[in-house]
Formats: sequence, C-alpha cells, structure tokens
Amino acid sequence: MGNMIKTIDVTDSLTNLKDACDLENGRISGKIFYDKAIYEQELEKVFARCWLFVAHESQIPKTGDYITTTMGEDEVIVIRQKSGGIKVFLNACPHRGNKVCFAESGSTRGFICNYHGWSFNVEGNLVGQHESGVYEDSDFDKSKWGLKEVAKVDSWKGLVFATFDPESPSLQEYLGPMTWYLDALFDNQEGGTEFVGGCIRSTYECNWKIAAENFVGDILHAGWTHDSAARAMLGGAVAKVSDFEESYSVNWNGHGYEFALDTVGNVAVLGESALNKYLHTIKPSVAERLGDFRSNMIGSVSSCTIFPNFSFLPGQNTVRVWQPRGPNKIELFTWVVVNKSAPEDVKEKWRKGAMMTFSPTGVFEMDDGENWEYCTKTAKGRVTSQQDLFVGLGMDTLLTDTPLPANVYEGQLNEANSRAFYQYWFDMLNAKSWSEVPDRNLGKKEAE
Amino acid sequence: MEKVFLCKVSDLAENQVKKIDNSDHGDIAVYNLGGQYYATADLCTHATASLAEGDIEDDLITCPVHWGQFHIPTGKAQGFPCEIDLRTYPVEVEGDEIFALIAVDQALIAKG
Repeated sequence: MGNMIKTIDVTDSLTNLKDACDLENGRISGKIFYDKAIYEQELEKVFARCWLFVAHESQIPKTGDYITTTMGEDEVIVIRQKSGGIKVFLNACPHRGNKVCFAESGSTRGFICNYHGWSFNVEGNLVGQHESGVYEDSDFDKSKWGLKEVAKVDSWKGLVFATFDPESPSLQEYLGPMTWYLDALFDNQEGGTEFVGGCIRSTYECNWKIAAENFVGDILHAGWTHDSAARAMLGGAVAKVSDFEESYSVNWNGHGYEFALDTVGNVAVLGESALNKYLHTIKPSVAERLGDFRSNMIGSVSSCTIFPNFSFLPGQNTVRVWQPRGPNKIELFTWVVVNKSAPEDVKEKWRKGAMMTFSPTGVFEMDDGENWEYCTKTAKGRVTSQQDLFVGLGMDTLLTDTPLPANVYEGQLNEANSRAFYQYWFDMLNAKSWSEVPDRNLGKKEAE
Repeated sequence: MEKVFLCKVSDLAENQVKKIDNSDHGDIAVYNLGGQYYATADLCTHATASLAEGDIEDDLITCPVHWGQFHIPTGKAQGFPCEIDLRTYPVEVEGDEIFALIAVDQALIAKG
C-alpha cells in the first residue's frame, strides 16, 4: 500500500476579503492579484481542496507510464497501475523529502530516491533501501513509509482530476452540469480524445486568476487584444462577437464556459482550412451523438475554465493549466487535444496550429501574456491595488426559461462567468469546510 | 557436493524465474532462459531483495529494489549498486526435475 496523505489544518479565513471582492456590485480590486497573504490562503483553501486537472488518460496508457505535474505548488507523480487505475503521489520521499522523480514523463518500474536509495514501486510501496539491514535492525515498518497518495483521483471522458481533500464532493458533483458542455469537445466522436505531442511549459509574471478568468468568460478582449494576430492568421479581423445571433455564458461552482454556435470560429484562427473541413465533416455525426445544439460548439468561438485553473479552447484545441507560483507568477502547462479517431494529418495540423497560436511564441498567447502581466504588476502599488475594478457587464442576463443546464446567461460578451468565478473563489477562501461553501447555483442540473 | 531439488521443468516457463526456499544454503533463484536452466543465490548482494521478484531482460536479472543487474549464467554483477558477483550453482536436469549442485564450502559462503 502507498500511504494516504495527512490532511492539512485549515487556518482562519482573512477578514478583509469583502473589501477586495464585492461581486454583487460587480467589483473586485487588484489586491487579490498581488497580496501574499491571500495567495497563501489560496494554496490552502483552493488548491489543497478543489479537484485539479493532473493528466489525460492517453498520456499514460500502460502500467508504469507516468507524468509529473503540480497540484498548486505541490509536486506530484501521476502513474498508471497494473489494475488499470491511476494513482497520484506526492513527488517527495517520505524519508527526507527529496524529490524522487525528475522527468516530466516516462515509463518506469518505480522510483528510487537519490538521497538514501529508498525505492518505491509503481503502487507507491516502499520496497527497500540502500543498507537495508540497518532498517531491519531498527524494527522499521516498511509498509508505513510508501509514497504519500492524494485523497481522491477520478476522471471525466479522459480528463484525470485529483484532490488532496478527502472531504471534497465527488468529481461528478464538483463539475455538475458543466460535463454536458465538456462533452462538446471531449466526447464528440467515438473513442474520445487524446493529447498529441508533449507538454509545453512557460512562465508568466501574472496572477493565476487573471488567466483562468480570461478563459472562464472573457471573449470580450479578443476583438481588440488579438486584432493584429487575427489579421495575420485569418487575413481579417476577429469575428464581431456582438453580431452573433445566439451565444451564451454558462457557469456552475465557479466553472464557466462562454460560447457561440458558429461551429468553426475558433478553429479558423489556426489558419488550416483542413481543420475547418474536418469539423464540418464530423458535424453530422456529432449532432447524432450529442444533438444539434452541441454540434455547433465543436470549434466555435468559445472558451472554458474548470475552477480553479484548468482551461481549454474548443477549435484551437489547446488545453492548459495555470500553475500558481506565487501571487504574481504562473507556470503554464499546455497540451494539444484531438479526437483519437481523427486522421493523422489532421492531428498533426492541430499540433502545428496550436504551436503557431497558443504556445510561448504563439501569436495569440503573446498578446494575452503582456496584458495579464500588467494587470498583475499594477497591483504592486499599494494605492492602486485597493481601487475598484469593474466586472459588471451583463448583471441582469440570467435566463430562467432555457432548456440548457447550469446557470445560463444570455450572450458571451458578458462578465457573468467572471463574477461567478471570483464568487466561488471568495466562497472557498471564506469556508473552513465544504459544508460552509454556499450553493449559489440557480440553474438546472440536466439539459431538458 | 550436495544435490538439491529445485522444481519441475513443467513448473518453470520460458524466461521465468522462481524462488526456491532453502534454509540450509540460502534461498535459490532458478531461471529458464530459452530452455537453458540456471541457478543463483536469490538474495541480492547489495541490499535485502529477492531477485526472483525482479525482471529478466535477455540473460540479465534486474533486482526489483534498486534495479541493479546480474548476468544470470555467470552471476557477474553489472555495476553500481550491484558490485559483488552473485553465487551461481551448476544445474542438472533429470527427466522433469531440476537440481542444483552445491559444494559444501560454497554453501557456507552462500549462507553468509
């Protein structure tokens, strides 16, 4: 047996958060992007409790296949078991705490610590040490000193999530009706999806929430921020989002998805017409599988964040985690997702297209990075950090008579998802236990 | 020279290794490499580990604990952390039965 992690003590919440986060009035302040005390609370009350994306099933198909990543700032190993299941361990030796795995990914029979030769198998069990005799002479109980295993691991359509908190709701409950929307990208063809290529890692000097919130519901920036990049890729401007006849912002538990129903608006910016064609080709079968509505979402102008820091763009097919590295720094991990059943040349075009647009040198990513870094850096000023910032668009746009699941708001040029994201963040920071997290969901749990 | 019964040929598939408990001489690992049988001490010469729980790669056995390797036919240690060679025993097959031939002085060393 590996050994279950010890849960951490929950410290008292900060008392003055309300001043920095007043969503009923559509206000936040820059303080939440720069304050060290708030960041320490986030590591404990958000990242040590929420479900966090750790891997895609396709990255670790066989026994002993692993990847390393982080949950908050905690380094973890995600490894396929002989049973077919997946375990997630702290990437730290239980003897002196040294890191046991230095590779980003691979396939192994186990992990041996560099320090004293403690050796762990795929199941996380301690199987021996250098100078094993001295441990035997000390009545050392090997079974108690395996790699520390996180509380829960579960997956949805190939996306593997883990949580440090045994008291957290189930993944299904945590995601709620957002899974209905996730399926538009992650389950639109038989066989599901896979990641192609490796993990692209880069750093930004921005707060993780700025990036996560951009994907949760900010298409508003695209027409302005990305104009020159769009002209380079498309030969024209970004689609005028306010011209779309029908679009939505939907959210649940702080997760959010904003989308139009134009099928190929996102994929078009990769500049690969074969990809538009592919989506048009599969669209009828998607409609059969998921219904007409979601067949319009497979590559449309859209974006999504699953709280706290897992995001993706349908169409561009970039999947990412904004790893927190202090209040004013993130490490960005990105991957490219494709349908397993897609032709190989289509997969390759997606990989290349994502590199051109949403990699460290990608034309859209560079535009975003500059903005996010300065949204963070201005909050360094003590006075600036306490001024109100406006998050008030679309205050009265909740749709109550829609057949769609989750909390549904009219229009994607709308800050409803951003407010819901910050509200859930605020609620998590104020809750000492899951039972204290208020249920602010107003919408339906299932589609009609 | 003592003749010690290890196991039946039919109980040891190709490219498999099996641990034979032996309190007199120390546990013995018996191998079937493509129809050729070999026997070595089962205890790794580096740290506490049963080599029979390790993996065979060509004619090498990989220790399950620190992944050091030994050459099965000769017992030769392949490098850090396994630097002391493994005791090997001549093997005799009679019908369906596999035996190890253990010299008395060898047996004393193997027992440690």
